[in-house]
Amino acid sequence: MTGAYGQRSLLRGWDRFDYFIVLAAALLVALGLVLIYSGSSRTYSGPLASFNNPVAKQAVFALIGFGAMLLVSRIDYHHLTHYAWVLYGIAILSLIVILAIGQTSFGSTRWFNVGPLQVQPSEFAKLATILALARFFSEHGGDAKELRSLLLSVAIVAPVTLLVFVEPDLGTAIVFAAIWLGVVVVAGVSRSHLLVLGALFLAVLPFLWTYTVADYQIERISVLVNPEEDPLDAGYNVIQSQIAVGSGQVFGKGLTNGQQTQLRYLKVPTKDFIFSVLGEELGFAGALALFALFILLLMRGIRAAQLAGDTPGQLVAVGIVVLILMQAVINIAVNVSLFPVTGIPLPFVSQGGSSLLSLFVSLGILQSIIMRHRAYRQN
Amino acid sequence: MSILDEGYRGGPNTSRDRPHGNLVALRIAVLALFGLLALKLVDMQIINGSEYARRSRENHIVATNILPPRGLIVARDGTPLVENTGVYTAAITPEFLPESKDARYKIYLKLESLVGVPALQIQAMVDQAEADRQGFLDIPIQKYLSKEDALILDEASTDLPGVKLTVTPGRRYLGGNAYSDILGYIGAQTPDEYKKLKKDGYKINEPVGKTGLEARYESELRGSPGISQVEQDAQGTLIQQLKTREASPGNTVKLAIDPGLQEFVTDLLEGSLGNANNAAAVVMSAKTGEIYAMVSLPGYDNNIFAEPEKHAGEYNALANDPRKPFLNQATTPSAPGSTFKLITASAGLQEGTITPNTTRNIPNAILYVKDENGNPYPLVDWEAHGTIDLYGAIGESSNIYFYMVSCGILNETKGLGKDAESSAVSLGYYARAYGLGQPTGIDLDGEATGTIPNPDWKRRNYSGSDFTETDRAWYYGDTCNMGIGQGFVTATPLQIARMTAAVANGGSLLTPHLLKEIDGPDGKVLKIAKTESKQVPVSAANLAAIRHGMHDSVNTDRGAGAKAYIKGLDIAGKTGTAEFGPLKKDGSRDQHAWFTGFAPYNDPEIVVTVYFDLGIGGERAAPTAGKIMDYFFKHVKP
Repeated sequence: MTGAYGQRSLLRGWDRFDYFIVLAAALLVALGLVLIYSGSSRTYSGPLASFNNPVAKQAVFALIGFGAMLLVSRIDYHHLTHYAWVLYGIAILSLIVILAIGQTSFGSTRWFNVGPLQVQPSEFAKLATILALARFFSEHGGDAKELRSLLLSVAIVAPVTLLVFVEPDLGTAIVFAAIWLGVVVVAGVSRSHLLVLGALFLAVLPFLWTYTVADYQIERISVLVNPEEDPLDAGYNVIQSQIAVGSGQVFGKGLTNGQQTQLRYLKVPTKDFIFSVLGEELGFAGALALFALFILLLMRGIRAAQLAGDTPGQLVAVGIVVLILMQAVINIAVNVSLFPVTGIPLPFVSQGGSSLLSLFVSLGILQSIIMRHRAYRQN
Repeated sequence: MSILDEGYRGGPNTSRDRPHGNLVALRIAVLALFGLLALKLVDMQIINGSEYARRSRENHIVATNILPPRGLIVARDGTPLVENTGVYTAAITPEFLPESKDARYKIYLKLESLVGVPALQIQAMVDQAEADRQGFLDIPIQKYLSKEDALILDEASTDLPGVKLTVTPGRRYLGGNAYSDILGYIGAQTPDEYKKLKKDGYKINEPVGKTGLEARYESELRGSPGISQVEQDAQGTLIQQLKTREASPGNTVKLAIDPGLQEFVTDLLEGSLGNANNAAAVVMSAKTGEIYAMVSLPGYDNNIFAEPEKHAGEYNALANDPRKPFLNQATTPSAPGSTFKLITASAGLQEGTITPNTTRNIPNAILYVKDENGNPYPLVDWEAHGTIDLYGAIGESSNIYFYMVSCGILNETKGLGKDAESSAVSLGYYARAYGLGQPTGIDLDGEATGTIPNPDWKRRNYSGSDFTETDRAWYYGDTCNMGIGQGFVTATPLQIARMTAAVANGGSLLTPHLLKEIDGPDGKVLKIAKTESKQVPVSAANLAAIRHGMHDSVNTDRGAGAKAYIKGLDIAGKTGTAEFGPLKKDGSRDQHAWFTGFAPYNDPEIVVTVYFDLGIGGERAAPTAGKIMDYFFKHVKP
C-alpha cells in the first residue's frame, strides 16, 4: 500500500479533520432538537425516551448520522467518484420508481416506506448528482470552458431535475439547478456560455410553466403575492408563518411560548416551518444565531473546496456547499414569504431522518476531502 | 485493498491538475443570500414586528358578546307584560365536523334522531355551506326546540363534534291580544338594520325591537352587552378564559297603562262590536297626557312574531284579514264626524262670529239654500231641533247650527271667513291648533297624521291629469262638510282624545305618552315621563262654554250622548256619527260611531274616546265610554 500517509493507523489524518464543521452541525442539530421539542409539545405527550417522540427520534438519527460522517470521512472520496455513474443510475431509477409507487403527502410524491422508515430518494439523488458532475468535469479537462462539456453537464442534471420537478417538488428542482450552476461556475464556465444558456432557459420557461407546473404550485406562488386572498386554504401557511416570524420581534416569545406554534396555527412546525417556530420563540436574535451557524458551516465547506487536492474533490465540496446553502435559503425564504411554499427541510434543523443522514454523509465527504488534500495536491 | 485505504487512483482519465476554481463567488453568494434573508427579517420582526404581534394575539383570541337580559316592560302597577325566554336552536359548524364522510353522516343521523331533521337534508345544508366557503359559520338546523329537547341536545352534543345548541334571547308577551299593538315585538336584525345598528355597537346576533314600544324604547331595553374573550387554538379548542365583562341588563319600561282597565276595555269593546269590524278606545289623563288604556280591535297575539317560522299560517291569516288586525286603530284616521264640532265651536267663539248665546231656529231637518250657481242645495240635519243656542247645538249635535258657524248659510249669514275658502282656512287653523292633521307625538311609531283639508290641499291632492279643474275647486259644501267633521276631514281616536283633553283642561294640548317611568334593573327610578303641552288659542271662557255644551249632551234628555250617563259620575262628552263610503240603495251611507268625553265635569281627570268603524255614536260608542269611565273611577282612581 502506497500513499502519503500509508495505512499505519486509523487515527491518521485526524489532525486535519475540520472540527468547526462538526461543531456547527452539532449546534444546528441541537437547536433543531430544541425547536422540535417546542413544536411537538402540544401534539406529543408520551415518554421522552420513545421512538414516537420526535425529539428522541431525531436525536437517534443525529447519532447515526454522526457515526456515518466519521465512517465516510475515512473513505477516500475517489471511491465515491469512481462509482458516481452507478450511483447516478440508481438515483434516476429510484426517482422513476417513486413516481409510480411512492407515498403522496400534501399533493406531492416524495418517499418510499421501508418498514417504519420513510426513504426519500431525492436526498440520495442530490449527492449522486454532485458526484456525477464532479466525475464528469474531472474527466473533461477539469473545467467547463468547453461548450460541449457544459452542455453534457446540463444533460446530467436535467433528468434528475425534471423527475423531482414532476413529483412535484419545485424546491428540490431549484436546488439541483443551483448545484449545477455552482459547480460549473467554479469549474470555470465561460461567462458568455452561461448567458446564452440563461437566455435559452428564460425563453423556455413560459412553456415549462404552462405544461409542467402543477396548479397547486401556481396557487402557492400567487398566494405568496397576496395571501389574504385565500386565507383559509393556500394562503393559510403563508399568513400563519408570517405572523409567527413577525410576532417574534427582536428576542422572541421564549421557547414553548410561541402562541402561533403552541396553538397549532403553524402546520408542520417541526419540519418545513421549523424556522417559523424559531422566529417566533427566539426572535431576530435567534435567527441571526442560526444564520451564523450556517455561515460558519458553509464557509468551512468552501474552505474544504479551496484546500481540495484535485478537481473532483473541489467540485464535490462545492456541490455539497451549494446543496446545504440552497436548502437552507429556500426553506427560510418560504418561512419569510420570499418563496412559495415547497417541501424543503431546513438542513440539520428540521425533523427528518433521511435528510439528516444524507447531510451527515455529505459532511463526511467534506471531511474526507479535507483530510486528503495534501495527498492529492499537485505541484 | 480496503476502501478505507488512502491513495485510491480513480478512473483512468481523472484530472490530477491543481484545482483552479475561484471560490470568491461562492463566498459572496453565501453572505449575500443570508444577508437578504436577514434584511427580510429586519422588516418583519423589527419594523413590522408589533403589527404581527397584534395579529398573533388576535389570531387566537376570540371575543364573543354576551347578550344582556333585555329590560322588561311592565304596567303602571308593576305587572310584567313581557318575559325573557331562550330560543333554542340546534346548529352545526361545518368547520368542526370530522373529515371523514362516514363519520359526518353518523353525526347527521344522530342529529336526525334528536331534532327530526332528515340526515340527507342536513348533509345538503353542510355541503352547500362548505361550497360557499362559509364552513366557519353556524348553520341553524332546527329552531325553537323545547327546553327538554334542548337539554338533551346539549348533553349529546359533547360527543358530536361540530354540533351545538345555540340559545338566542327571545321574548314572550304575557298580556295577550290586549297589548299587541302597544308592545310590538323583537326580532333578528335585517342586513339593512345591522348596517345602521353596527355604529351603536350592535352585534349581528342581537335581537332588536321591531315595532311598538319594543322599538321605541330599544335603547333603554337593550342593556349593555358583555364581552367574553377566550383563547383558542387553530382547531377551536378552548385554551383558557381570558377576561369577561358581564352584560348588564336593560332598564325596565314602566307604562302608564293600567292592566285591569286595559283588559276591561278590550273585553268591553269586543262585547260591544255588534256589526262593527274595528274598534278603538283611548283612556288618557286629562292633566298629564299619560295613557291609561289604549285598545285596538281586532287584536292578535304578537307572540307569533317571536317564532315566525312556526306561526307562518297564523301570520298569513292575520295579514290577509280585511279587518287589518295589524293596524293600530287608535292611531289610524277616519272621519271624526260630530266630535269635530268642538273645534268648529272653538273657531266660531274665538273668531267672534258667534257667542254661546247665538241662536238659530231649525224648524226642519232639511234647509234648502241656493248655491253659487243658484241651484238649490240641501243642508241636512238629523232632526228638527227648534230654536237652539250653542249649548243646545253641541248637546243635540245639530248639523245646521254648525254649518252656520263654519260655512255660513248662503245668502243669509257668513261663516268663519268672508267666503267658503277663507272659512275653511280659518277652521283648519283651529283644527291644527288642536293637534289634528299631525302626529300627536305619542311614544309609538307608525302614527297616522289624519287630514285637515284646505283649498290648497285639495288643489294639490287632485292635481294630475286624472282630475279636472272642477275636481280641484274648493266649494261651499266642502267647508260645510268640514264644519261637521266629514268630507275630507280625518282624525285618529288618539287625536280626538288629545283634542278633548285640551277642551277639558282649559286649553293644554298634551302630548300623549304610554311611558310612566324608566326604572333601572335594581328598580331605581331613572326617568319619569314629562308632561309636555302647548296652549290652544282658545280662551278659557270659550272652552268653558264648549264644556257646558258637552255636559248637556250627556246630562239632558235631548242630549245626543245621553247613553254615556253614569249615575254618580259627572260626565261630559260629544258623540260623532260620521257617514262614509258610497250611497247605499236605501239612500243611507255607512257610519262610524264616535264618543269622546271627560269626567268629572268640574275637575276633569280623564278623557275617554271610543270609536267603532260601524255604528251610531250615541248608541254604540256613548254607552261604552260611560262604562269605561265607571270602571276607571271605581277601580283605577276611586
